[in-house]
Amino acid sequence: MNSAVQARNESVASFRTRLFTAIMLIVATLTALGLYLAQQKVAADAERDLQENFQAELSSLHRLEELRHAALEDRCNKLATKPRIHAAIEDNAIDLLYPSAKDELRDLMEGNEPPPEQAAQSLHARFYRFLDASGAVIKPPNPYDVGELDEKTEAQLALSKLPDKQQIGYIQRNGDSAGGVVDEVIAVPIFSTDTGDVISALVIGFKPLELQEKSTGAGIKSGIWVNGQLHLPSLQKSAQASLNEKITNAVANSDRNQDKFRLNVDSTPQLLFYRRLNPGSLFPAAYEICVYPVAYSIAQLHRLRWQIGGAGAVLLLGGFVASHFVALRFSVPVKKLALDSEENRAQRQRAEAALASTAEELQRSTRYSADASHQLKSPVTVLRVGIESLLRREDFKPDVYEHLSVLLHQTHRLTGVIDDLLLLSRMDAGHLQIASTPVNLSRLVDEWLDDLSALPDSPDVKIDKEFPANLFVAGEKQYTSLIVQNLLENARKYNRPGGRILVSAKSNTTDVVLTIGNTGRTIPTGENIFERFHHDSTPSAASGHGIGLNLARELTRLHGGDLRLVRSENDWTEFEVRFSAANGVNAVA
Amino acid sequence: MRLRGLLWFNAVFSIMRVALLASATVDGHVELPKSHAAPVQAKRYEIVTKGGVLSTQPPLAVVYLDGAFPKPASLPTEEVAQKNLTFIPALLPVRVGTKVEFPSFDDTYHSIFSYSPAKRFDLGRYRPDERPIPSEVFDKPGLVTLRCDIHEHMRGLILVLSTPYFVMTDANGNFRMGRLPAGHYTLKAWIDSRTTKEKPVDLKNGQTLHVDFP
Repeated sequence: MNSAVQARNESVASFRTRLFTAIMLIVATLTALGLYLAQQKVAADAERDLQENFQAELSSLHRLEELRHAALEDRCNKLATKPRIHAAIEDNAIDLLYPSAKDELRDLMEGNEPPPEQAAQSLHARFYRFLDASGAVIKPPNPYDVGELDEKTEAQLALSKLPDKQQIGYIQRNGDSAGGVVDEVIAVPIFSTDTGDVISALVIGFKPLELQEKSTGAGIKSGIWVNGQLHLPSLQKSAQASLNEKITNAVANSDRNQDKFRLNVDSTPQLLFYRRLNPGSLFPAAYEICVYPVAYSIAQLHRLRWQIGGAGAVLLLGGFVASHFVALRFSVPVKKLALDSEENRAQRQRAEAALASTAEELQRSTRYSADASHQLKSPVTVLRVGIESLLRREDFKPDVYEHLSVLLHQTHRLTGVIDDLLLLSRMDAGHLQIASTPVNLSRLVDEWLDDLSALPDSPDVKIDKEFPANLFVAGEKQYTSLIVQNLLENARKYNRPGGRILVSAKSNTTDVVLTIGNTGRTIPTGENIFERFHHDSTPSAASGHGIGLNLARELTRLHGGDLRLVRSENDWTEFEVRFSAANGVNAVA
Repeated sequence: MRLRGLLWFNAVFSIMRVALLASATVDGHVELPKSHAAPVQAKRYEIVTKGGVLSTQPPLAVVYLDGAFPKPASLPTEEVAQKNLTFIPALLPVRVGTKVEFPSFDDTYHSIFSYSPAKRFDLGRYRPDERPIPSEVFDKPGLVTLRCDIHEHMRGLILVLSTPYFVMTDANGNFRMGRLPAGHYTLKAWIDSRTTKEKPVDLKNGQTLHVDFP
């Protein structure tokens, strides 16, 4: 019992182990999957965030520029209506253009450069120039008033033709700072108030609007690429050169206005965005460049990895605890199940053992009966043969013969009992086979009644018959005969002097019922007369060996019929035997 | 009395004859651009710009005899007034050296100036009661565009010519110009700031030449 408990505990433990392993596997898989997906997402998100950031900043820049453009357009439209400007341009008095515009544009050049945050509202210019009808720059008579520019820079302001709408451009000039200065130039057309034609253009140079560097994006560098030159002063010279090369290639190979790519600057991974600042402009293409260090998103990724790993560990721990409880919870019914099955097994084993011993006993008793019958038969035969040979002698006294004949009768009885026992034991062993044939029951009963009346010790009984002739039943003649013999012998044996025996039979399509009634002592209720080796509770002269009724009933049952006591009262005892009718033979009945 | 009358007649006749004999006359027609503007009620003209070309509206032409003529000692003063925010006349042909006054009859400021190569001037802001009346002497031949710095739509033209012989056509383009010296000249017809037609003429004393500018 102790070992069973141990085994049960072991099985529960292994169940728990398996459950835990399964949970662990699931958690580990989920964690890994989560980590992988999160990593993908974080990388994509970081890139998208940066891109959105870049786009948003450019958009805000664009909005500021639009404000500025609107203000400038307004200014230039007003300027064009000025008769002096008009006169200077239309009356070919170009030399008077700058003096005429000087007062109008005085505010552009006055004062100092505003701080970057106010740059958009302010129209403070670094310089301005007029373009003539062919798009060439009109030289100012006094450059000091309109912002001095060297020849090369001034040449960059020229356009191939006069624009009919505002054009944005970026020019790079070698100013005082090391990397040069980038100017944002806006060319605003001046329309003739008379003809509506573009008669000139005002090109105004501003300090470029700068991207507002957000505090979140530490290390973000932004600059402008124009005409094969990168202006990104916050970057080192060498890095600028390599970056410039890459951007130049990217811009040359892509016809898109914006794109992004990854690159290494100073051996740190960076994400670079670029977007054209002046799409469709007559000025050379200029691009806003933003370089974002990927380190920030990598750090974010690391943090996230730790978080997800931690979550996975917590999940694992939770899984462990859960598996513990689940195993406990599940192990109760499992344990119960194990116990139940154990009990079941024990019961079954006991039942099997009992069955086996019973079968063995049965077999043994059956074998014993058969053996005993066989063992008895030979001595009885020897005895009978001896008695018969003694009877054949003629030298004994007459009373000796009487004794000898009684002895012989007894040996005949003994042989009958032994035969009956043999038959019963064969039936018990299941060895008896019925070869069913139609048996003429009427004739059989007649023969036996004749025999009965011929017996020497027959009491004075009256025999009545009430059955049709040629009543056929299905069965083996030998055994059917035995049944009838047993019942008729009993009816005679247990009768009273001057009594009566009634043998009747009736049939229907399936059955033939033979009823044998006799007068005489009745059978007390509750007495099992069909029991083997049964003996009367009341002693009487008539006695049998106690197996006749039993044998008869077993045989009728073997034939598919039955034998039962119908009644036993008021000096009348009646047995009823039901046989199967022989098929088709009793049609006349 | 009769004699005196005869003498007077003679004298007058002789002068007339001399004048007739000593001068030639040109008349003709200048084909003016078709005007799409509504018929002008008052005889007022304005200067219009079409594709950078200045002309009068409705169209008028100035016909003049080109050539070198001796400069006179003095020239009469001409006038371009500002009335109802327009220049009157809109187109004024003058001989080189003519002084043009710019009186104002509007109850507002005007600031007449010109950036034209023929004459750059700037009279500054002035009111109608400005005295002396602001004026300019036009001493270089060419077309001068008059503008007002305050009233941007105002335009006026002064065609400065080196010749004393010039005349404006009527609205139909007909002109007649007399007392011209005999000789070979070029007769020109200024139609707008970009278009000046010309024809050689051979003028003979006492003759009237008919010249058409188709």
